[in-house]
Amino acid sequence: MSNAHSRHYLAIWYWLMALVILSVAAASTLPKLQAMVLIFSVAIVKAFLVARYYMHLKHERVIIYAIALVPLAFVVIFLFGLFPDFVFHATKP
Amino acid sequence: MTIHSGAEPYGKTGTWWFLSSEIPTFGAVLVAYIVLRLGSAGWAESSAHLNFNIALINTFILLTSSMTIVMAHAAAQDGDYGKTAKFLGLTVLLGLGFLAMKALEYSGEIAHGFLPSSGIFWSFYYGMTGLHALHVLAGIIVNLILWIQALNGRLANHPHRVEYAGLYWHFVDIVWIFLFPLLYLA
Repeated sequence: MSNAHSRHYLAIWYWLMALVILSVAAASTLPKLQAMVLIFSVAIVKAFLVARYYMHLKHERVIIYAIALVPLAFVVIFLFGLFPDFVFHATKP
Repeated sequence: MTIHSGAEPYGKTGTWWFLSSEIPTFGAVLVAYIVLRLGSAGWAESSAHLNFNIALINTFILLTSSMTIVMAHAAAQDGDYGKTAKFLGLTVLLGLGFLAMKALEYSGEIAHGFLPSSGIFWSFYYGMTGLHALHVLAGIIVNLILWIQALNGRLANHPHRVEYAGLYWHFVDIVWIFLFPLLYLA
């Protein structure tokens, strides 16, 4: 294993650790809405780092992206398709 | 011998197909959780009873195990099976550490009377984390088999297997990346 590979993977790991700490800090310091936006944005960035660099999506062909992204798109459509239900019929405390 | 389809080993494409079937499995549960949580009151109070410190430690454990298995993959590509075994062994230990911490967390919650039947939040909590833990267990078993194969030299005939196992392990890590904020930070 080349040292360049090791350093690269370690650098990604440092970023992942730093992003976890950022999420926890945001949850305890920021107002609720801002904290949620930041926390879930950070989660998406962490998932992106793992997928792109540890799963090597960076070097994959289009077919692999298609295999991974089509079901993900269905999940997102499912989520936004249900949005009106809880926006307009939510139980209030 | 690895069977190839053009530039891509069939095994890798097959692993991605498998992962693509896992995305809707976890996705449907996560979406149901988000929708019900946003549409109902009282879930934040229930989540306050979870053990945040254990979950944070488990987050560090799982992210670190993603790093160790990608190191194992890199070592296998270089034909260094001693290093591959070392990093696979570390990944297995970290996976076992994750499950041990999860068991500790479950036992604390059960001791306080929070069971899957204690409410819809708890049903989701045990369902989602239990399903995830089962996937971690499956990954540990696969990594353990590869670790044994790396030690006895049989992995040299199938070095791509480390990459396939790594893809699965990273996917399990990504699921936790979303479970952690949804359950413990939101």
